[in-house]
Amino acid sequence: MSDIVAMFRGKRRSSDFIPALGFMLPALIGLGIFVVFPGVRGIYLSFTEYNIFRDPEFIGLENYEKALQDPFVWNALWVTLQYVAINIGVQTVFALLLAVLMHRFTKSVWVRGVLLLPYLISNVVVALVWLWLLDYNLGYVNAIIDFIGLDRTPFFGETTAMATIALINVWRHLGYTALLIFAGLLTIPKDVYEAAEVDGSGEWRTFFGVTLPLLRPVMFFVLVITITGSFQIFDTIAVTTGGGPVNATRTFSILITDKAWNSNQFGYAAAISVILMLILIAVALIQMRLLRGNESDLER
Amino acid sequence: MTLLSRSKEAQETQEILGRRNSTLTRATAYVALGGFILATLFPFWFMLRTAFSTTRRLSADPLSVLPVDFTWGAFERVLGIATSEQSVAEGGSGQSLDFFQYFMNSVISTTGATVSQVIFSAAAAYAFGVLKWRGRDAIFFLFLFALTVPAIFLVLPNYLFIREIGLLNTLAGVMAPHMLMAPFAVFFLRQVFLGTNMSIVEAAVIDGANHLRIFFQIVLPMARSQVLTVFILQYITIWNDYLWPLYIGSSEETSKTLTVALGIFKSQTPQGNPDWAGLMAGALVAALPMLLLMVFLGRRIVGSIQDSAVK
Amino acid sequence: MTFMKNSRRAALAAVAGLPLVLAACAGGGSDAGSGDSSESADAGAESGVTLAYGLWDANQLPAYEQCAADFTAQTGIGVDIEQIGWDDYWAKVRAGFVSGDGYDVFTSHLAFYPEFVANGQVLAIDDYVEADGFDVNQYHPGLADLWTNPEGQRFGLPKDFDTIALFANKKMLDEAGLTEADLANLDWNPQDGGSYEDVIARLTVDANGVRGDEPGFDKANIDTYGIWMENSGGGDGQTQWSFLAAANGWKVNDGPWSNTYKYDDPKLHETIDWWYSLVEKGYMPSFDIQSGAGWADQLIAGEVALASNGSWMTGYIFSQGNENFEPTLVPTPVGPTGDRASMYNGLADNIFAGTEHPDEAWQWVKYMGTTDCQDVVASYAVVFPAIPSSTEKAVAAMGELGIDVAPFYVHIEDGTTFLFPIADKKSQVQELITPAMEAVMSGNAPASSLSAVNDQILALFE
Repeated sequence: MSDIVAMFRGKRRSSDFIPALGFMLPALIGLGIFVVFPGVRGIYLSFTEYNIFRDPEFIGLENYEKALQDPFVWNALWVTLQYVAINIGVQTVFALLLAVLMHRFTKSVWVRGVLLLPYLISNVVVALVWLWLLDYNLGYVNAIIDFIGLDRTPFFGETTAMATIALINVWRHLGYTALLIFAGLLTIPKDVYEAAEVDGSGEWRTFFGVTLPLLRPVMFFVLVITITGSFQIFDTIAVTTGGGPVNATRTFSILITDKAWNSNQFGYAAAISVILMLILIAVALIQMRLLRGNESDLER
Repeated sequence: MTLLSRSKEAQETQEILGRRNSTLTRATAYVALGGFILATLFPFWFMLRTAFSTTRRLSADPLSVLPVDFTWGAFERVLGIATSEQSVAEGGSGQSLDFFQYFMNSVISTTGATVSQVIFSAAAAYAFGVLKWRGRDAIFFLFLFALTVPAIFLVLPNYLFIREIGLLNTLAGVMAPHMLMAPFAVFFLRQVFLGTNMSIVEAAVIDGANHLRIFFQIVLPMARSQVLTVFILQYITIWNDYLWPLYIGSSEETSKTLTVALGIFKSQTPQGNPDWAGLMAGALVAALPMLLLMVFLGRRIVGSIQDSAVK
Repeated sequence: MTFMKNSRRAALAAVAGLPLVLAACAGGGSDAGSGDSSESADAGAESGVTLAYGLWDANQLPAYEQCAADFTAQTGIGVDIEQIGWDDYWAKVRAGFVSGDGYDVFTSHLAFYPEFVANGQVLAIDDYVEADGFDVNQYHPGLADLWTNPEGQRFGLPKDFDTIALFANKKMLDEAGLTEADLANLDWNPQDGGSYEDVIARLTVDANGVRGDEPGFDKANIDTYGIWMENSGGGDGQTQWSFLAAANGWKVNDGPWSNTYKYDDPKLHETIDWWYSLVEKGYMPSFDIQSGAGWADQLIAGEVALASNGSWMTGYIFSQGNENFEPTLVPTPVGPTGDRASMYNGLADNIFAGTEHPDEAWQWVKYMGTTDCQDVVASYAVVFPAIPSSTEKAVAAMGELGIDVAPFYVHIEDGTTFLFPIADKKSQVQELITPAMEAVMSGNAPASSLSAVNDQILALFE
């Protein structure tokens, strides 16, 4: 933590602490009651044996020792990483592309509206619709694949399910993510582009040399939001494969839910949650370092 | 930086960039955009054709391009104007839906929660993005870390807390965790406020404006479109929230939200088949208010920004 | 330096506030956990009370709404019925336990109730049964025992039961030249599959129209499968393989509440290996292929000729006839034991231990356990009620709809049922066995690999 604080101690600042406290107080109270408190309680529970019906019993590090030896936990780490890699990789590249397309080639409000449509539909319904569309025998997608003479694909099979689920969620969140990036593109002042034009900088050089670096704070934001969300993937899997085939889609959230609710090992589930939390914190810190997310190249 | 509209500067930027477009790039770009739009809409066509089908006849012809046995039945079930017998006969659940009650519950709780959340999140973002004080980034990171707490961790203790303070089965209980902040909103608006033109703020300080005035009359208006962006995105998120209102509000008619009520169209047994037509009709009906919101607010923003002198 | 102090003080205040909230909340939690089981049992039923009742099956909702209306007219006790889909239903039930504000009475399932009992969340009804002199022997034999624990305490009265048969597409049976007589007495063994496998092979058709028992059959290019696979069935195989394994002489354990699992029994292994061999022969979809839309959709759409499943699906399947699908039922095959076999399962209602109205709750549970309600349920022709006379009415009601349910009922007449395995730590057992079974059915491992899992399961009870 001291590291982080040190990172931002650069400039000398006049203190606006008193008004700042006033402004952030409601949010701090909300954070305290609905996140920090249950979070701390969850951390405490991770050191106990607890099913929701009985009082927790302190057992020290036992849950953590068990988790580190549990092949299901390691499997969860592996398949969750697969999901995040596919989901974030594809989504970020496509969203960036889409944002640039929107920025440069269309003035239509409707196009943006249409692209946001999938986000209006709840996760569960989205998963059910795609489960149907992608069915081996009865789905349109395989009917089309068959029609053009290719082999039908079992989209929810052991080797394909994770990628399928990751792409279903790309479908739902692509417009949303693209809009956030698009919003970032609009903050880049026109004089930067004018200067690039005067310099005779080419398409690609402008994009990689000017646009992308200036987008860094937005990309940092988008990536933190999407990656932390992506690690917690639950609904789509619960509706489609429920963690199978075998263990191919048994991600952290599915495992945690199974342990907490189905087999009533709430303490153990809490320990796995804490492990997931530590991973997410580490990922966020790494992102911060790599993207230097708090700095903007634009001095205003 | 707006959701549905563009500022004057953005238009000019687009023109500068537009000058470089060759016909070929333009064509490729439109093809790509068209592809994205097509891929986006394809499942919606499937939802529409399913919603207008008769559930009991659907699986006979799973690859039908048009609705199977066209009927308004599914929408009648969703809107609660079909009788129990009628809906069971068409493959629906016998549950009756008091649609307008649930709809109003959703409108009230979502609107209340989102308005309050965006205001308080913006206030916090002002503290983190505009004001300067020691330790602000450390406190801000608390909000960032809030994103890393797995949701399943929070549902049960929060449910017990709501019960403790006597808000179980009330709309206030459904709204409560959303009302004071959302890490996403704080984070997003902070990023926005970091880019605030400080010379305007400083000028206001010299004029003797206090922070409340600066916040409400300068910073917020300048970031109006971003604030609306957050508002719309969070409105959609809260509207679609399912698990929390199911726990908190599903037992009373006065606190049951639309998404929870529509949950009855889901599968009734582990191996069972949902009322497909009803489910799709429900999903479309539930999305409609947000569609209207987007259209309505989208238009509003266009008007207000073009008149605005503040850059 | 002022702000320094201030921020530290603020931080302190924030931290100091925490234990208060924590204590408040923990108090709430344990409060609910203890439940109000001390409610006096002899307080008479009051009118004006309204009970919260939960169920998950929409098909049964109209029947129970009718029962509730009759019950209220009779007793003055109101019943507020809430129906929620399966997954959410159990989340709601559990949340209600914790908060104390859940259902007073809820439809329960054998897969979950042992854990509710172990945690003291549901009320034993022995005192009420005794006080009212209620006859628990009026049900089909064995059903009432499902709802007692090893100590002999009773927690529910049976509402209905279910058995297994094969749902079939009559159009395909006709095309394959199979008559009703051919199908009425199929036999099966794990070595060559018997006439059961012959029929499945006959019903499988490849893309060129060649049947599974004809030369030139292309197993890589199937148009219609002989039989559908509905997941791996996990540790019970209720609708998937239990009717075969049991007909081969296998038992999952030594009876209700037993902790001696037998997933290492070669009789199970040869059954499952045979079952998987259907995938390799092309008669059944692979695990990957079946993991999309469910078996019912596939059957109704004419993608498959047979699918084994439970009697609770009868109403739905028979309402779905279309130009590709004509529903009919075929009994499960006779195995090496010389008998058919079917898992026998049933539902009952549990009373929440923390209910404020235990007496009224019992009145309602009792009402649903008598012919008053079960005859009403029978008339809706959706499930088989647990009382024999009501069952007959349901069979008759289904007959009027043109559904011959004999293939389900034959198990009752012949006494070839075996009980749904009730056990403690069931979900932990499932967590271990399900992925292993899926691996077998995906062709990743032979069925003998289940022996290792059996050791892990036994270790749960050490």
